[in-house]
Amino acid sequence: MAMENPLITADMVEVYEFPELADRFGVSGVPQTTINEGLGTVVGAYPEDYLLDEIRRAIQEAETSQGA
Amino acid sequence: MAPLLNEDNHNRVREVFKEMQSPVDVVLFSSKANCEYCESTQQLLEEVTGLSEKIQLEVHDLDADRDLAASYGIDKAPGFAIVAKPADTPVDFGIRFYGIPSGHEFTTLVNDLVMVSAQSSGLNPETVSSLQEIKTPVHLQVFITPT
Repeated sequence: MAMENPLITADMVEVYEFPELADRFGVSGVPQTTINEGLGTVVGAYPEDYLLDEIRRAIQEAETSQGA
Repeated sequence: MAPLLNEDNHNRVREVFKEMQSPVDVVLFSSKANCEYCESTQQLLEEVTGLSEKIQLEVHDLDADRDLAASYGIDKAPGFAIVAKPADTPVDFGIRFYGIPSGHEFTTLVNDLVMVSAQSSGLNPETVSSLQEIKTPVHLQVFITPT
């Protein structure tokens, strides 16, 4: 996904080596994908449109809370 | 240190690397302080990148080369970027790995190298057009384990 838009970046983070980061986002199972520092989360493997929906939801939520 | 990849691994990786197109740089930031997996990550990357003449590995020190690390947004070691180099100007798609990519993640690494080289995500066209409509920064962090 990062390849399709320069605004999107993707980190692969190894949980055992960076436990603080995993703790911060409450990682309990892998893979877990965190969107914009916790605004959205997807646990497990997923179809690409599922992650896309979660990204859009996270963006919308951020915009709504900024507007409030 | 004994090799991390065996002959069978080499053959499988070489098979996937046949799809490589543009040259790719792997830019690793390592650290001497408190980094259990830095050495083995570097060794693994040396072994993998050695399997294609299209892949070049750069190794930097996270502390000594702080500014360069910051330009890649890398703040942890071992951390590395996979960058396409179709011409002299690198194309950074924002793909980073933190920690040793072993086990399942080794497959992810090999596939990502080919994807970046081909500059093609392989996602379906509807997903691609939706992604391109996104106007705000999106930071994805995929938490994984080596097993």
